[in-house]
Amino acid sequence: MTALLMKRRHFLLATLAVISSKRLAAEPRRFRVAFANLNEEPGTRIDGLGFTGADIRRSFELASRSQPLDMIYYDNGGDAEKALGNARDAISSKVDLLIEYNSDAKANAEIGRQLKTAGIPVLAVNYSIPGAPLYAADNVAAGRIAGQALGKFAKENWPDQTLVAAILGDVSDPGAAVTARIQGLTEGLRQELPDLSPVQLDSAGHAVRAGGVLAKFLAAQTRRKILVATLDDASALAAKSAVETAGRTSDCVIVSQGADRSIHGGASEKKEIDPANRGSIILGSVGYFFDRYGYEILPIALRMLRGEQVPPQTSTKHVLISAKNVFVEYPPFDMN
Amino acid sequence: MKHGAIIGIAFSALALFGTFGTAHAQADCKTLVKPSPFGPDDQIGATNRITPAVTKAAAAEIQSGAVISMANNLVDGVPLFGTRFTKTVLTSATLVPGAELGKNRLTFMEDTYLSQSHVGTHIDGMGHIGILDCYYNQTPIGKFVTQNYLKKLGLENLKSFATRGVIIDMVKVFQDAGKLKTNPACQTPCLDGGTVISEADIQAGLKMYNVTLREGDAVFIHTGWGDLFKQFPAQNANYNKAEPGIGKAAAAWLAAQKVVLVGTDTWAVEVIPSEDAMEAFPVHVFLLTDNGIHIIENVRTDLIAAEAASSKRATFFLSMTVPKAVGTTGTFVNIEAIR
Repeated sequence: MTALLMKRRHFLLATLAVISSKRLAAEPRRFRVAFANLNEEPGTRIDGLGFTGADIRRSFELASRSQPLDMIYYDNGGDAEKALGNARDAISSKVDLLIEYNSDAKANAEIGRQLKTAGIPVLAVNYSIPGAPLYAADNVAAGRIAGQALGKFAKENWPDQTLVAAILGDVSDPGAAVTARIQGLTEGLRQELPDLSPVQLDSAGHAVRAGGVLAKFLAAQTRRKILVATLDDASALAAKSAVETAGRTSDCVIVSQGADRSIHGGASEKKEIDPANRGSIILGSVGYFFDRYGYEILPIALRMLRGEQVPPQTSTKHVLISAKNVFVEYPPFDMN
Repeated sequence: MKHGAIIGIAFSALALFGTFGTAHAQADCKTLVKPSPFGPDDQIGATNRITPAVTKAAAAEIQSGAVISMANNLVDGVPLFGTRFTKTVLTSATLVPGAELGKNRLTFMEDTYLSQSHVGTHIDGMGHIGILDCYYNQTPIGKFVTQNYLKKLGLENLKSFATRGVIIDMVKVFQDAGKLKTNPACQTPCLDGGTVISEADIQAGLKMYNVTLREGDAVFIHTGWGDLFKQFPAQNANYNKAEPGIGKAAAAWLAAQKVVLVGTDTWAVEVIPSEDAMEAFPVHVFLLTDNGIHIIENVRTDLIAAEAASSKRATFFLSMTVPKAVGTTGTFVNIEAIR
């Protein structure tokens, strides 16, 4: 009788063990991941483009929904000291991994050192941290895409015309990203049109000033076709307005950088880059997908957490967003 | 002026051909869309599952005869997707003194209802969603499109929806799990926009009222988001901006249970924004195009959810009829739960 009871107990325990192991197998381990964002100050544009810190954070919130992740969010506020404090807090919170988006190289080196001491892996965003994998925009490649698009358009549509080219925006921005974009733009244009050297028109980061600067340039460039590469979408929209005011829409095309929400929209928003607006003088804008960073970066973080090898650097796959592909790249769902 | 008008019409026609005439080259539908489980000639999808036996078994759900509405009023001003519109016009000419008919002075009125078909509480048919020009059952729909209607996959083909309905109260599931994050614009508890409803959530909702899904069941999910619909027009923008809904895993699980339809108190049934930012309405494709399972949107679920909570019974006899509107892709419907 006792033996029978023992057998039954063993059977029950074994059954429970099988059920438990099945449950464990069905539910993947959850990880605590911290994301320290560059700057969530309302109105602050990120890395010279039209995206905000809120756009980036939202992408992490959305992308983490179906992942075994419990997210903790920090705002570095564009401040190196704050970034260091956030990293210390992440260490004391014993997170499994920190995703760090901070532009200060010195602070990044210290953050890398402290996290290494704590045994917590780090994944860097756009600014490298010694020893940490990096996810970053490829600013030269993005610039090159825009330069090539302008050059190809000119070769196809204005083969016998006198051309001038301009790079419009915050060209004096000391950041490495803007310098790299200008380098790429120039390279891309010269690949298509080797004799063309773009002039730089400085808006100092103000869209209204961008319109004024371009208007002056247009007035000096009569009987020429003008290729305009803008460094952000707000400048592109201001440039378009200046071209229209000057009555030069048949002489000018624009390609921009960023492809933020101000230039493309949902099915009923009829924004500038829209399938129903294929004749726009804004040919397109190179996508940086800051609003999709969470979807790109969290899978890398998960691979790190599962002990898999990840490449030392993963670059954004930039593409030119135009009327032809905007709904493929950004499927519209916000239908207001 | 006349010339201008004619030229304008000609240009409009050209623009129309430019837009639709060259829409898509014929794609290989056998690689893009799954074959129907109901055979190569099927046009009616999961309504095949509503057999006489299924309807008879569902009739056992009628115990008290109480009827609970599950449709929202169809009225101008409710939230509409994208560029859709409604406009109701009442014709009451014979009410004007002297316009009566006959010595018995008969008068009459009627309505003109200008609207797209996918408005209010409505059903998505098999002709609604595809991948390129490939629709349900690997149908190369381009061959069956006319200017006015579809020559295949129209709603007129559907069988009856006389089956068992099941309400799943997702608000309660999330409350019980301590994870309800409501939207401040909701006057009653609701799941927030972007909340993914998982397979486990669906199963928890069924377990709450001890329901096991049967083949041919009609599944309705109460998310509370319909609260914003009821506040029209004040919350129309919020309602359309996002929504809670089932993710792809939950859709796959429901399809595996061989349900006939999935309905919710939201405008798209599936979670918006989608789980994958690069995909457009993937659950629509999975349910309608690949599995022939109908989708019902903007369902009024609060009344039946409350009834289920008070009676601890989540099943009912579904009364929903779909007009035999030839060659259409969807239509507004009236839905009632009979208990």
